[in-house]
Amino acid sequence: MPRDDRSPKRGLRARLMSRGPERDVDDEIEYHLQRRIAEYVAQGMDPAVARERAMHRFGHVPGVRAEAVRVERALARRERAGEFLGAAVRDARVAMRSIRKSPGFALTATICIALGVGVTTMILSAVDAILVKPLPYPNANQLVSVYAQDVPRGWHGVNISYKDYVSWRDDNRTLSALGMWTWSTTTITDGESERVAGAAVTANLFALLGVRPMLGRGFRPEEERLAASDVVLLSYGLWRRRYGGDSAIVGRTISMDGRPQLVAGVMPPGFNFPDRGQYWMPFATDGPAREGRDNRGYAGAIGRLRPGVTLEQAKADLARVSTQLQQEFPNENTGWSAEVMTLRHDLTGDLRQPMLVFLGAVAFVLLIACANVANLTLVRGLSRRREIAVRSALGAARGDLVRQLFTESLLIAGLGGVAGAVAGAFGVRLAHFAFPGGVPFYLDFGVDARALAASALVIVVTAVLCGVLPALRVTKLDVNRALRDERAATGGSGGRHMSGRSVLVVAELAISTVLMIGGALLVRSYRAYTHTDMGFDREGILTARVTLPDQGYNATERRIALYSDLEARVRAIPGVKLVGSAQGIPFSGWDVQATATFAGRPVPPPNEGFDSHFQVVFPDYFPAMGIPLVRGRPLLATDRDTLAPVAVVNETFARRAYPNEDPIGKRVKFAPPNDPAPWITIVGVVRDFRHYRLPQPMGPALYMPYAQSPGRTQTLVIRTGLTDPYVLVPSVRAALHEVDPKLAFYEVKTIDDAVSESLWRQRVQSRVLAVFAALALLLAAVGLYGLVSYSVLQRTREIGLRVALGAQRSDVLAMVYGQGGRLVVAGLAIGLALGALLSRTLGSLLYEIAPTDLASYALAGGVIAAIALGALYVPARRAVSVDPLRAMRIE
Amino acid sequence: MPTRDKTELLHGSLDLIVLRTLSVQPMHGYAITQHVARLTDGVLSADPGSLYPALERLKRNGWITAKWQQSPTGRRARYYAISRSGLKQLGRETNEFERFVDAMRRVLRAT
Repeated sequence: MPRDDRSPKRGLRARLMSRGPERDVDDEIEYHLQRRIAEYVAQGMDPAVARERAMHRFGHVPGVRAEAVRVERALARRERAGEFLGAAVRDARVAMRSIRKSPGFALTATICIALGVGVTTMILSAVDAILVKPLPYPNANQLVSVYAQDVPRGWHGVNISYKDYVSWRDDNRTLSALGMWTWSTTTITDGESERVAGAAVTANLFALLGVRPMLGRGFRPEEERLAASDVVLLSYGLWRRRYGGDSAIVGRTISMDGRPQLVAGVMPPGFNFPDRGQYWMPFATDGPAREGRDNRGYAGAIGRLRPGVTLEQAKADLARVSTQLQQEFPNENTGWSAEVMTLRHDLTGDLRQPMLVFLGAVAFVLLIACANVANLTLVRGLSRRREIAVRSALGAARGDLVRQLFTESLLIAGLGGVAGAVAGAFGVRLAHFAFPGGVPFYLDFGVDARALAASALVIVVTAVLCGVLPALRVTKLDVNRALRDERAATGGSGGRHMSGRSVLVVAELAISTVLMIGGALLVRSYRAYTHTDMGFDREGILTARVTLPDQGYNATERRIALYSDLEARVRAIPGVKLVGSAQGIPFSGWDVQATATFAGRPVPPPNEGFDSHFQVVFPDYFPAMGIPLVRGRPLLATDRDTLAPVAVVNETFARRAYPNEDPIGKRVKFAPPNDPAPWITIVGVVRDFRHYRLPQPMGPALYMPYAQSPGRTQTLVIRTGLTDPYVLVPSVRAALHEVDPKLAFYEVKTIDDAVSESLWRQRVQSRVLAVFAALALLLAAVGLYGLVSYSVLQRTREIGLRVALGAQRSDVLAMVYGQGGRLVVAGLAIGLALGALLSRTLGSLLYEIAPTDLASYALAGGVIAAIALGALYVPARRAVSVDPLRAMRIE
Repeated sequence: MPTRDKTELLHGSLDLIVLRTLSVQPMHGYAITQHVARLTDGVLSADPGSLYPALERLKRNGWITAKWQQSPTGRRARYYAISRSGLKQLGRETNEFERFVDAMRRVLRAT
């Protein structure tokens, strides 16, 4: 850069005189010609001839013009950039200097912004991942999930039957394809046995999702037959982990549940349908339970809308098909229809409301952060009145002063923003801890450009709001007055500004009260969840599921023998008190329902039957879980006669099925009365306990002894006297290997963990909102503290004077607490009222706690008041310790 | 300054002439051509075709500054003035040119 005397101002004036590169060059050339012509004319030449001669002598005018314009333009560009950069660097340097002079202010403001931006980035990224970003399939917005629903009974999202699926698939006019899937698990038995979860899918499913195998091929339609279904697709992760990423595996066979399976292909990385699946098998359409329209036991169907078809049209279309089915198959389908929803809604619908609540909460936190920064900047601006007045008197232009203050705010906003963005990026990673079992593959958590752009926007708005408005106000003041008035040095006279800042602090307190109420409501709801009487013991119980393959376990005696042997061995492990088993333990999601028929009662019309949860258990299941028998006798190991089956029912079953009768000795069956299946005699009643995930209440349930209905899956329930039952896992696994080395346990967890995992969403919700409330309160407390301590500082002389005139310590305290207390009371009042209005939005997130729950409001108000009084303590102390002599001397 | 080839030297001599001329007093482009023609009896001429681009170039280097002013004839004219760094540059270029002339003279005498 030239170090000459071109100040920016001069450059500015020169630029103002200039009329743009082209005009300037034209003018200059014309001037040159005119002078030459004048010279020639003075020599006595004819003007026309003179002009021609002058042009000739000048040379090639357009060429010169073009060259000069080019240089001129480059020059102008560089000058502008240089000026801007120079000014920016100068401003930044001045700003840094002044920030360094008051690090407390800068640090507080930076932290406020960082907190605001951090949580905003984090929540926006999460909202983006869950509600906005398309699912990882081509044209994912065309994908729909289809379930069964029984509207008259209020059942939604029910699993589907294969027959219904086929009707929906073949008779619809709105879907280009409809595939079906169901859960599947298998034990890989070559090498160390390992239980893996996956899915059985129709051959068209992955194609309609738009996902192709990375290696090999997908399933063929002919592989949907049981005889041809011994093929498998591996997930990328399983392929890498277990087969070393060897592509030669494709076309070879591996052993699953002891049977050879041909590896048809490997799916691409990041694909783990349905959520964490590791392998896929063809859905065999001629399998044993594919008949029966009312056998609604398969996970669901996924379809793709034809181009241009809306969700509503598809819903109407499948409703039409469902109506036809109801007429055609009244026994199986009365009341039932297809339930169509977008795949996104299916996968993330239950996260929508909490995410929206978080979004609102984070907006509040950000608002408070902005108010705080505005407040801090305003106070700082006022305390710099004198400095600004001096500079203004020395000739600084108002624009320059505003720009400098703006730069300071921008610098702080930038620092805070960057720190916040980094914090937000780390915060987003917390999502991995929020989901039990990790984030499902179809969600992509990460700070994306949109979230960052939104945060950046927030930074700029913060900077403009907090920097420029106070700066404008500050520079509006009368220079002479400010210089004359000593009190202006600390901004003492600004009553209006004070009230403006008070409004901000009241708003902050009100908003944090609202958040605190929300947090309290959710925390108390979560408490209500965890303190729900489950009806079983949660401590010291380990559970582990094992599923028997067809190979070697077709005979029911073999299954009975295996489970009996296994239970005996586990019972022998030191530390184990009792061992029982059920098909699925509480909170595991296991739910088989069947319609019961009662001996001696007429058959109810379709869709009005008595549906009951149905489980097959080993007798010690109830004592191991700590569930008492309330009537009759327990199930016994001797209940083995499959022709005279017995069962125990829960209290709800007894109450609903036999309102005024003794259920003991009554007979039921899960088949029509004329079915050859034997009647089941009820021999006992166990106390109700929670089996379904909260908040779903318990319904009727019936439990049969395993020996009378031996299935392939049982979940061991091992009651121990240990605080950490997991220490038994190796011995329990060893016991299983002793009875059959090809078997593997899965879903090994304590009952307590199963319950707590099922509540993960409620837990995350309440924690996030509680953290937000705490952040908001912290910020509001900082705001209150800042305002009151500044006011004490301002009034130091006044306080000193009062003390000198005989004011007592209590008077001074009353003054400070009075000022702060008014703000706190106003903030609390507004916040409580606003909270009462807004708490309704929490709606279904609450559990056994009303949106108007008094305890939550009292808790929130109490916490806010306590912290606010704490924030007033320091300035109050300072006010009391004012030394009247020193205070009066301050000039 | 690094060594220059012949064409650049010619450019350079025009720069030198302009800087030297402006070191007398600020003037506009036409005045520069007149001044040079008068001083050298027309032997050297600052041709407008190379003068104006040269002025732009000097301006870009920060050696001269330009300002629009009313000329004595009442028209808007751009006046050029030499800057402090331009004066330094003039000194450097003068030295270099003198060394060049010395060298040329020696070569010519030796022949």
